Amino acid sequence: MTIGLEHYLVLSAVLFCIGLYGALTKRNAVIILMCIELMLNSVNISLVAFSSYIVPLLLTGQVFAIFVMVVAAAEVAVGLAIILAIYRGLTDIDASNINLMKW
Amino acid sequence: MNLELFIPEITLAVFAILVILLDLFVRDKSWLRLVSLSGLVIAGGVTVAMWGDDSTAIFNNMLAVDNFALFFKLLFAGIAFLVILASTDYVAKFARFQGEYYALILLSTLGMMLMAATTDLISLFVALELTSISLYVLVGFLKDRKSTEASLKYLLLGAIASAVLLYGMALVFGSTGQTQLGAIAQAIQSMSLESVLDSPALLMGIVLLIAGFGFKIAAVPFQMWVPDVYEGAPTPVTAYLSVASKAAGFAIILRVFFSAFGIPEWLSMNWGMIFAALAVISMIIGNVIAIPQTNIKRMLGYSSIAQAGYLMVGLAAIGFAPAIATQGQSTILFFLASYALTNLGAFIAVIAISNKINSDDIADYAGMGKRAPVMALALTLCLISLIGMPPAAGFMAKFYIFSTAVQNDLLWLVVIAVLNSVISAYYYLRVVKVMWYGQPASGEKVPSSGAPRLALFLCCLGVLVLGIIPGLVMRLAELAGKMFAF
Amino acid sequence: MLANYGLIGLFSIVVVLFTLVMVITPIILRFLKIVPSNPNPIKNSIFECGMETIGKTWVQFNFHYYFYALIFLALDVLVVFLYPWAVHLRQLGLFSFFVVLILVFIVLIGYIYAWKKRVLEWK
Repeated sequence: MTIGLEHYLVLSAVLFCIGLYGALTKRNAVIILMCIELMLNSVNISLVAFSSYIVPLLLTGQVFAIFVMVVAAAEVAVGLAIILAIYRGLTDIDASNINLMKW
Repeated sequence: MNLELFIPEITLAVFAILVILLDLFVRDKSWLRLVSLSGLVIAGGVTVAMWGDDSTAIFNNMLAVDNFALFFKLLFAGIAFLVILASTDYVAKFARFQGEYYALILLSTLGMMLMAATTDLISLFVALELTSISLYVLVGFLKDRKSTEASLKYLLLGAIASAVLLYGMALVFGSTGQTQLGAIAQAIQSMSLESVLDSPALLMGIVLLIAGFGFKIAAVPFQMWVPDVYEGAPTPVTAYLSVASKAAGFAIILRVFFSAFGIPEWLSMNWGMIFAALAVISMIIGNVIAIPQTNIKRMLGYSSIAQAGYLMVGLAAIGFAPAIATQGQSTILFFLASYALTNLGAFIAVIAISNKINSDDIADYAGMGKRAPVMALALTLCLISLIGMPPAAGFMAKFYIFSTAVQNDLLWLVVIAVLNSVISAYYYLRVVKVMWYGQPASGEKVPSSGAPRLALFLCCLGVLVLGIIPGLVMRLAELAGKMFAF
Repeated sequence: MLANYGLIGLFSIVVVLFTLVMVITPIILRFLKIVPSNPNPIKNSIFECGMETIGKTWVQFNFHYYFYALIFLALDVLVVFLYPWAVHLRQLGLFSFFVVLILVFIVLIGYIYAWKKRVLEWK
């Protein structure tokens, strides 16, 4: 059995779903950020896989993945900075305690 | 390389960096506002000068310079200008961080300009994130508990939405092998309905794209961040968010769905149907939940969800009749321009009043007709425009969008939209009633300073001009709608 | 094709059984009194490379540590863009060199910002 495009895609889909599940159910803001990172990186897997199987002569998917990595790092940096700002006033980062405003 | 076509964006980037450096090395902070305003004026002026009939692509077809993009660039520069003008007094709440505030507003405006111009999935993602990340920080600027909490919620939900959007992009890229929107359209035209149904990755990708963009424009299943973020954020940022971020979202939806997925009718009918469904639930949920709200920022938040619903009626009309789509586009552009002026006007009045009475509760607006007659009059005009009553701009905007929808056999959708406008009149007029007939808490006048008054005057003038002589802006919108051939 | 899935099924059964055995064995051994269970403070103490732990392990890091980490995170990732450029340095020519200079200049502004805001000083 050779490894084909679909294996990468299934791996990517499974990782994406794990990340989405974690991001929606976890209560710790840092863990939610990690889950989001997992989602973005699972997309990177499928981008690179698509690129090397569908347009093997171009590097579109790989370049896209580099941009995604940089953007994700910027996002996480801002996220951690906001968590630090909250932590200063709140002493914990349990997302269920962040509930001053309710529907 | 035609760098001169890129001048508005370069100007904004340079001025944002300039503001940061000035903030570090100059002691007198009042310069910062002038510098950022002049940056926006230059960028807007260059955009006007570039308006023309020909459209070009720059950076390897990654960005388009066409009337559509220029229309939005001018709109964003104008919105940012008014927001900075209106936040003159408000910045005292975070005086230490004024430089960052102005720089971030300029940077997010830059991101939105790129969003309106982008014709490639890669540059789309980068532009979208430039906008979003600047906005995440701006939302948390007050540094009190509510503001940081709103910022964290916005960031977490926004990041999930961008991941979903990105997955959609990956699937579209995978099923067409292209990231450039025009090339995607060509690849799709060579596919048949059967081959797409056999491997539905493309359809899945389009649905995920709608979900990701739906978050940006606050359509209903993706709206949960709106009330919290609108309430917690500094009010000028709320105004900016409710207007510019939504307009940028619609710009990108129009561009992507029209130029990449517009052609085979079996495809465009289907996304038209999705937008019609989103429009219905956005209008109903936005309007119904707005009724019991007691905080005016939250109320305007839900009202902006409903307004996104009206706009999506226009999107559905485009999906159902791509052949006459330029008409649909120009009505959406007109609605966005009128909504921007109206909602900004309402928020500027709220900023000016709340900043003095230190409250956002609708009950505290009682008797504002006597305490701050100018502000109350302007707020009344803007609320009437949001309902969609003549002579304000909102009436013409809704009229155009709904008549396009009726022409494209979407009568049922228009009936729902009109019923919703009637519901919305209840909560808008309640504020008007409280302001003019309520018992004032004290007879003390609520003063307001020059810059917000100027911004408010410009907004109200725009609302009236668009409402009474809509032909002028409509012609611009028609020219802008016809472009995009990439 | 189906035979391959049979192997995967066999593998999953082995995985589940192995995990269960590993979890249950110590409990059974404890239950049968084969393994002694007599905890004492020294046994329960936190093992830190043979050193005795001083104070609680839940110490707060200095706040500046996080600022350093954030600045590192934001600036470090930009190097990713330098890598593809460096690989094709000769083909890309002078124009790309100026583009990269602009990139470095923008990163430098971030650095100057952090420096002037006194984030880099360890107090």
